[in-house]
Amino acid sequence: MWRSTIDGLRLTFHLAGINNQNFLMRDEETGSYWQQISGRAVSGPMAGRTLTLMPSDELSFKLWKAEEPQGTVVKDVAAYAREYSPENWDVEMAKERTVLSFREHGMKQRDIVMGVQAFGASRAFRYDALLREKLVMDHVGLEPVMLAVGPDGASIRIFRRHISGVDPAPDFYRVDGQEALFIDAATGSGWNFQGCAISGKLQGTCLERVETVKDYWFDWRNYHPDTSIFAGTRAAH
Amino acid sequence: MKTQRPGWFFLLFWLAAGAVAWALLIYPIYVIRPFRYQGPRELPIALAVLRYRPIGMILAVAGMLAAVVWYWRMEHRKWRRFFSAVAVVTVGVAAVLSRVNIYELMFHPAGKPVITAAAESKLDGGEMVIAVKVNGAARAYPIRSMSYHHIYNDVVAGEPIVATY
Repeated sequence: MWRSTIDGLRLTFHLAGINNQNFLMRDEETGSYWQQISGRAVSGPMAGRTLTLMPSDELSFKLWKAEEPQGTVVKDVAAYAREYSPENWDVEMAKERTVLSFREHGMKQRDIVMGVQAFGASRAFRYDALLREKLVMDHVGLEPVMLAVGPDGASIRIFRRHISGVDPAPDFYRVDGQEALFIDAATGSGWNFQGCAISGKLQGTCLERVETVKDYWFDWRNYHPDTSIFAGTRAAH
Repeated sequence: MKTQRPGWFFLLFWLAAGAVAWALLIYPIYVIRPFRYQGPRELPIALAVLRYRPIGMILAVAGMLAAVVWYWRMEHRKWRRFFSAVAVVTVGVAAVLSRVNIYELMFHPAGKPVITAAAESKLDGGEMVIAVKVNGAARAYPIRSMSYHHIYNDVVAGEPIVATY
């Protein structure tokens, strides 16, 4: 998800090719080619420039609608809607072959990861491990972070565990209350999935979100060769 | 210029110009195709071809036109003139096709997004969406549609954005 404007010029993008199974976009206005995953122009007058990332979330419709009742949804394109893949698109894609292969840490090429590039480091969190553990205390570089699965059991958000006046960064525990999803160990305040304290001493405080990209392992690893991996704190059942 | 074998000169020129034009057309399609490994050298070369090939195509077509004019001044037999004209067309076809990016058609561009209110959407609650919030306005892109079209050029609260998946 990117801002389309660069130097005041609004660009219109077209899917124009494939580079190792990540697509290339061509903009109409300058004819430059951009890599979708990095937002970076790889050819043409804009070569070397990078689009500005737009913070985005991958959520279930139910959860998003509850948070944003006034929001708007992009409708299916009627002419093609019948050709859209079923909801288990991920499962079907997992069977497709890849042209790149990084056989490290027991990862399968199409394992899905939540990738974080921040605080001077890159880290890939296995999606299945996050869904299984529901709440994970971890670090990206030296920065304490928390990964939380939403009340729908499908949406995932990542937060910095940085609260001014609370040092060191606290751990959080899952409580599954009506409103609060977790509490922090430092003050016992209750927090919701938006990362805001809704009860206790820290009520009104919100944690800072960390941008993440959901991607296949091979693609994430291709653009982040130094990435570390979070595969779970407990063994898979 | 006076030569004994204008046909041979024309034939050789056609082979050269045709080879250049068709190579410029086919090479990027060959390199940038799905399910193929793109090497670190060949992708930049293919993209450079895409960027600069209009010049190559213009030169190839202009060269063929000049060659056929030159040839017709020496050659008066109808069949030979006819085949030389066909030769020009084979180069022209490559030039015309180079104006079309087959991948831009293959993935069915979505066009301008049509939106509906969250309350009126018929989307299943369990379907995943990509959500953005710009200047207080929230918009969701259903993943089933994103994974088909891959790109939406959109404007949210006055801010042009491109949703990609």
